Order: sequence, then structure tokens, then C-alpha cells
Amino acid sequence: MKNGPVFFFGLLAAAGISWGGLVLGSHGQLSSLPPYYDEIQSQNFPARMNGLAARGQYVYSDLGCAACHTQQVRRPGYGSDKERGWGERQSVARDYIYQPRPQLGASRLGPDLATYGARAEKNPEAAAQLHALLYAGSATHPAYPFLYNEEPLVGQVSNKALKLSSGGRPGMQIVPTERAQTLAAYLLTLNHSFDFPEAKPLPAPAAKKQEPSKK
Amino acid sequence: MSNSPTNAASAEVTTIDTTARGPLLLLVGAALVWLVISGILALIASIQLHSPHFLADCSWLTHGRTQALRETAFIYGWAANAGLAVALWVLGRLGGNPLRALNWVVVGGVFWNLGLAGGMAGIAGGYMTSFSFFQLPAGIQPLMLLAYAAIALSGILAWGGRRTDGTYAAQWFAAAGLFVFPWLFSSAQLVLLWAPVRGTAQAVAAGWFAQGAWTLWLAPLALAGAYYIVPKSAGRVVPGYEFAPLSFWTLVFLGAWTGGRHLIGGPVPAWVPTMAVAAGSMLIFHYAVTLANLRIASAGTGTAVRYIRFGVWAYFMVGVVELIACFRGPALSVQFTFLATALEQLGLYGALSMMFFGAIYYMVPRLTGNPWSSAALASGHRIGVILGVSLLVLSLAAAGWIQGQALLDPQVSFAQIAERIRTPLLGATAAQLLLLAANLILLVNFCKTACACAKSASQPALFRQPASLEASA
Repeated sequence: MKNGPVFFFGLLAAAGISWGGLVLGSHGQLSSLPPYYDEIQSQNFPARMNGLAARGQYVYSDLGCAACHTQQVRRPGYGSDKERGWGERQSVARDYIYQPRPQLGASRLGPDLATYGARAEKNPEAAAQLHALLYAGSATHPAYPFLYNEEPLVGQVSNKALKLSSGGRPGMQIVPTERAQTLAAYLLTLNHSFDFPEAKPLPAPAAKKQEPSKK
Repeated sequence: MSNSPTNAASAEVTTIDTTARGPLLLLVGAALVWLVISGILALIASIQLHSPHFLADCSWLTHGRTQALRETAFIYGWAANAGLAVALWVLGRLGGNPLRALNWVVVGGVFWNLGLAGGMAGIAGGYMTSFSFFQLPAGIQPLMLLAYAAIALSGILAWGGRRTDGTYAAQWFAAAGLFVFPWLFSSAQLVLLWAPVRGTAQAVAAGWFAQGAWTLWLAPLALAGAYYIVPKSAGRVVPGYEFAPLSFWTLVFLGAWTGGRHLIGGPVPAWVPTMAVAAGSMLIFHYAVTLANLRIASAGTGTAVRYIRFGVWAYFMVGVVELIACFRGPALSVQFTFLATALEQLGLYGALSMMFFGAIYYMVPRLTGNPWSSAALASGHRIGVILGVSLLVLSLAAAGWIQGQALLDPQVSFAQIAERIRTPLLGATAAQLLLLAANLILLVNFCKTACACAKSASQPALFRQPASLEASA
């Protein structure tokens, strides 16, 4: 390879072609994806996150929760995602269009969180359990005590105070910081809000019983 | 035909080496320091996997941040510095002239490492970008880009100012590793940080960068050292060399197309992971030719070539197993498990790092003109690293296999999975401890060697000359 300019141009072309193909190609397909307007509910889906939850996604991102949790449900039949209750359908690109930095994750040391909010809705103690888990951890989940403040109990117990089974120190209460509150708000909104048409499985091909009539 | 050591010190150390001594030793020293730092972080992260409450009180070392710190220190600290040193040295040697713009290399090296230190503090403080292989805080990345360009300039000038018209494979890989990275890095910064694409297109772009960094940046830097050292150590012409150009261009054109390999079944268009399979299949040609070319490493003698031998075989294995893992069937068991981590470690540690170790062991005596300060420490490092990498990859693979099978069974809870994989993860922690100890040994050996050089030790290095060497560059 003697010709320097041709060599370097070839390298540039190689990097450029893969960038053009993968990045620009997917950008062309995904970046102008509009929300889906459902006429029955007269609403766009997905809805944008509320402010508290939107800030919570940044907390999720900077703590690196994506190191152990995914937020992408695989289609039914491909893995046990549906059987584990993680979602009735697979996640599609439209679910993420209003997330500034989707936290898809690449590792499942813990459960998938894409529909955590939906599972939590069925459980009235969900928020309290979430805060307890984040504060104290468990055998398999790290603790994040720095997301909570221990404050002196003056007068009434704060309505945000954690109700810990082990009981706190007398005269003290554990209160979530703003970061913990936004993180919890974010996790409790995570949901597949709508059954998009592209998420429905393809109909099975009809059995080919007729003899071929066209040539 | 014996390989008796000859006193060919003067022939092996030329002005190319003496002029480049300071800057390249700076880069190698920085690389080894970052390797040890990454090792400490890897040990902490590994402990946290089976004992989640380890250091949980410290927000800087919460598990997610520790993983980002470990990965960043390894790639941008160890691999980048080592790769730059190897590439510049190879281009200088094969170019036949002393390296130019070495002041730029020093300035670039200092700012790269300072920027990295700042970036690591940023990650610990919660400013990481959350993209794999790309965790450095957004603010520091342009500085890293400029620092890299300053260092790479010397290599590109060495290519342009070479004495011979023709070029060797080692030069192509070195030039590719130096030249492509700024484009890769800046394009990724553009679409992920400055003008982010929407939604899951970010995942595709991040995958493109991560695979591009492996195939277009780090692997070429390692192969540059391998293609230079192996024929010289073995004293033979590279077999099948006529396929090397095609192998090189296959890697360069197809490497980044495997960017979708972690997005199988994910919320991206199906053609993205399918392209990864297609590109991965064609890339087997590159891996096969590399192995065919460099298998003569088994005939080589000396410390350096033993590392490279291990590295080349690991590199081939990574190519094959990565392809198998891209197919949707095997991906069901591999995706999201420690099997993927094991494969990544096989590539980064087993292939890349071993080739860099070999290049460092070969390069440093020729730069300093002195032998390595302690042969015992060198052996200790070699045994420690080979055992450590093997144990690490096997432990993670075992954990990943158990985890993968358990994840497919919806009746198995995550607490049960954690219980089942605890023992292999303890093995992985032991491996990280062994690797840290071995790399500390190498750092100590390097410091002693470099300090001896600074004090002008009187003992010249003895270089092995294979008796049947036809040509030498």
C-alpha cells in the first residue's frame, strides 16, 4: 500500500460508510418517529414524562443502574420476559422517543424495569418498598444510603419518612433526598403505555392448501 | 542453528529508539499506572457482584459508577496509552527515520492523561454519559480528542516520511489505529452528546462506536505490534502474507458494521442486529488470516512472543465466538449474562492486553538500551496474567452459563440466580486479585527499568538474534 492519500481516504471511507449506514440509517428510520394518536382515548402515546420523573431518569443514569438492569422487554416467545411479568409485548422504538437518553442496559443481574411502574400500580406499598430497598439494599441489591438523610424528628413524622422494619434510631427519621424522590417517581412511571400496531405479532402465514394457480 | 544471544545491542538500538525514548516511556508508564488503577476498580466491582454491600455507602463507588470507572481506565488509560506507544514505535522503526513531532506527543500524552483523570473524577461524581465504552463526561471529550490528535500526528508523519515506498502490515494497522479513532470519537460525540439522535437510535450509534473502537482502533494497534514482533522473533517470513492486505481491508470496512450485536431482539429495526451477523460472518476471514499469519509466534523465542502467541489465539477465539453469539438462537442464552462479559474480557484482556504486554516487553529494552530490571518479576507477571485471564474468562463464562439457563426459566427468581452464580463470581474476584498483583509486578519492574535507564546503567541489553533472519527493519 504505497499511495498514502488513497490509503487514508480508504480508512476514512470505511469509517464513514459504516457510520452512514448504521447511524444515519437508523436515524432516518427512528428519529422522525411520531407518537401514535389513539382516537378512542383522544391522546398521543407515549406521553411525555412528568418533570419529576424526567429528572429521575438522570439520577438513574448517573448512578449507573443500567449496569445491572435492562429496560427492553423482548418479544413473547424469545426468552421468558413475558412469563416473568415484565411486559405483555416487546418494547418498540416508539416507547423511547421522549426519553432524552434511553437506558436500555446490557446486563440482567436484576429484573427488567421497562414496565416497573405498571407492576407497582397494582401494589399500594410499592413506593414505600422501593425506598426501603434503595435505602437498605437486600441480599442481592446494593444499598444507596447516600440518597437519604437522617433527620431529627421534630413534632410530626414527615409524610415522606421511610417506614423501616428494623426501626430507626429513636428521635430520628429517614427522609429521601430530592434525588431519591425523583428516582422513585421515574421508576414508578415506567410502563408500556399503549399497544402500538408495530408491537403486535405478525399473523401466522395461512396454510398453503390451494394448489399454486399462478405461474 | 542455535539462537545464542549475541551482543547486538548497538544494532538493535538506533537513533529512532533513543530519540523516542522519553515520550514513549511516558506513554508506557502512564499505561501501566492506569492498568493498575483499572485493576483495583475491577476488583472492587467484582466484589460488589457477589457482596453488593461492599462500599455501598460511598456514592463515588456505587456499583454502576465503579463499572464505568473500571472500563474507562482500562480502555482510555491502559489500552489507549499502550496502543499509541506501540503504534508510534512501529511506525518509526518501519519508517526508518527518527520520529518527528515528539514534543506534540509529550504534550498530547500529558493532556490525554490529565483529561482522563479529570474524566474519571467526573464519572465518580455522577457525570458519566451511560454509554458503554464512552462513559467519559461530555465536557472532557473534546479535550481528549485534541490530545489524541496531537499524539497521532507523529505517527502519521512517520508514515508519510518513510524511506521505502512499500509498507508492511504492521504499518497499515498502526496507521489505521491512529488515523481512524479521531473520526470515530468525534462522530460519536456528535450524535450522542452534542446533537443527540432520538430514542433508540442512540443505542445503535453507541453500539457503532463501541464495536468501532474495538475493531478499528484497539485491535489494529495491538496487531501492529504483533505483525512487527512475531516475524522478527521467529526469524521467518510471515506465512500467507499475500492475504494480509485483504484481511486488513476486511477488518476496516466491516468492523464497525457489527455495532448492532448487543441489540438482538431489542427496540431497534431488525436489520441492525442482522447486519452484525452478516459483517461478523465475513470478518471470520480476517480472524482466520490473522491466525494463519501469526501462528509462527509458536516458533519464536523470548518473553514478548509468548504473550503475543496467547493474544493471537485469544483474538481468533473472540472472533469466532462473537459471531456465534450474534445469531438469535445462541443470543438467547448469551445476551444480558456474564457470558457476554466473559467474551468482552477475553477480547480486551486475553487478546488485546496480552498483545500489548508482548509489545511492551519487546519495546522497552530497545528504547532504553537496558534489559528488563528483573527476569523473575517478568516471569511472575507472565504466569500471573496468563493464569488470571484464564481464570477470569472461565469463571465469568461459568457464571454466565448458569445465569443464562436460569433466566430462561421464569420460575427461578433473581435471588436464586444470585445464589447459584455466587461461587463462579468468587472465582472471578480471585482472578481479578491475581491480575492486579501481576500488573503491580509489571509496574514495579518497569519503574526499575526506566529508572536504571535514567541513571545510565552500564549493563547493555543482550538481544537474541535468530540465526536465520533474512532481513531486518
